[in-house]
Amino acid sequence: MKTIATIAGRVAAALWIALTICIAVPVQALEDTQQPSSSAWELLRAKYYGDQFMGLVDENYMSLEAPSNTPDPAATPLTLRFADDEHRRIKRVRVFVDNNPSPLVATFDLAGTPVTEIDLRVRIDRFTSVRAIAETADGGLEMRSGWVHASGGCSAPPGAATEGVLGQIRVRPAADAKSLLVSIRHPNSSGFQIDPKTGDPIPAHYISRIRINSGGSALLEAETGISVSENPSLRIALGKALQLPVSVDAVDSETQAHYTATWQGN
Amino acid sequence: MARQLIAGTALCGWLLLGSPAFAAGPTLFDLGQPAPGVYVHAGRQLALDVPGHDDIANIGFIVGSRCVAVIDTGGSVRIGQALRSAVRRATAVPICYVINTHVHVDHVLGNAAFQEERPSFVGNAALAAALKRSRQFFVNEYGADFAQPPSVDQVIGPDRLVEDELTLDLGDRPLLLKAWPKAHTDCDLTVFDARTATLWTGDLLFRERLPALDGSIKGWLSAIDELARLKVKLVVPGHGGVTRNLSAALEPERRYLESVLEGVRRGLSEGKSMQDAMEHVASAEKPHWLLWEGVHQRNVARAYEELEWE
Repeated sequence: MKTIATIAGRVAAALWIALTICIAVPVQALEDTQQPSSSAWELLRAKYYGDQFMGLVDENYMSLEAPSNTPDPAATPLTLRFADDEHRRIKRVRVFVDNNPSPLVATFDLAGTPVTEIDLRVRIDRFTSVRAIAETADGGLEMRSGWVHASGGCSAPPGAATEGVLGQIRVRPAADAKSLLVSIRHPNSSGFQIDPKTGDPIPAHYISRIRINSGGSALLEAETGISVSENPSLRIALGKALQLPVSVDAVDSETQAHYTATWQGN
Repeated sequence: MARQLIAGTALCGWLLLGSPAFAAGPTLFDLGQPAPGVYVHAGRQLALDVPGHDDIANIGFIVGSRCVAVIDTGGSVRIGQALRSAVRRATAVPICYVINTHVHVDHVLGNAAFQEERPSFVGNAALAAALKRSRQFFVNEYGADFAQPPSVDQVIGPDRLVEDELTLDLGDRPLLLKAWPKAHTDCDLTVFDARTATLWTGDLLFRERLPALDGSIKGWLSAIDELARLKVKLVVPGHGGVTRNLSAALEPERRYLESVLEGVRRGLSEGKSMQDAMEHVASAEKPHWLLWEGVHQRNVARAYEELEWE
């Protein structure tokens, strides 16, 4: 009798937990789909934006797409899309992963550029909101966000083999030249990884800035940090064809070395 | 009806709490002998996050006149112990070798159950480093599948490394081990029992269950080409049913991987994003495979990371 009661109690507890988990999340999501609050976010918001009002941007103007169940916590793809707008109201976008040890993933300077899409791969340490905050030319702030389920992306061990040469850059334009994929060989060590051979922490070592020029003017400037994945990859799309030449300049956080590549056309 | 409800709730409780309270009691450890002296326990086609996830790989052993070689040990110390008991029921010949076909948790966590037998642990030369990279992850994610309390010391790596090929003699029974370049993982190994012409492919061959890419898609397709030319009479895949026709068994996997390779290459040349590729590439393959969700997207992401450098 006692055993049955204990099991029943355990089952009831499990059921209660299941219900709490299953119900609590959707309710919160309904209330706060695009401006989810968290203590981590309140601190970040105060640090970067003070008490400035933050609006919810229309999805057609800016969107943030992230897979809710990431295929790889250490390399979760994010896609930012912007309206192809003549006036280019957005001048800067910051991307945050709330619950990462280093939440600011990247800052993109978009002033006067025709970029309509940015893709990058990021480390996700645990279940978190991912946010894009746009600063508009008139000084306003607007947000889009999404949730990602993941764990261990910041401390995941480095890839099996370091292939290629440190700082090697592959510039891959699409056939229609309206988009460009830039891939950089670099461990982009987060500082939270352990060397499996020695058991010692691997110091942070990452690409700190990526600049893409097209036809002699800046197309995109990005400040990047340790939440960007190993072998950083940045894809940009435009509403029109890229102007030649396209050049890429990436800066190493440790040595300040500049890694560069140029695409002159096929 | 009421019983079903309670059983379902218990399952849910186990999932949520990871409690061993509902773990199955002593169950029969199925063992087949598809060829003389070749014993196989068939893994179940389950995901890695449900009860029974420690018993999803095909594992087994081969018996010679002097030695037994165990090939893969299952995804928990418990499954490893069950396999060890099965060896002891089948033969009194000592276990000289425990061979791991690659680093994945469902093939190696049972190694610890064989330590008392003092075998030589054998693997691809790259397996040692791969296990060192993965062992903390195993403790974090699969702690309940270790002997308690879990520790990285229970993840037993190889003491005998295969750089290219190695022959082990079980007593009138040579086993030919071959290490492969990066394919399913960076440390794949196959085992060929010459006496019965049986090939253990490890996870270079998935049947029914969707192949999971953790190495190189180009390398895996090359390995498939090479495997398809081998003359064998019996095939023990890493997952899915034992079969007699190797080249036919490889065809669905080849078709899937080629579809991913071509789809990702096309996406890259058209300037598509990784997320776009994850959504659209090779989606026509879905009806042909078990356990598609999540794994397929990950495969496409891995292929994209590899092929963006072409």
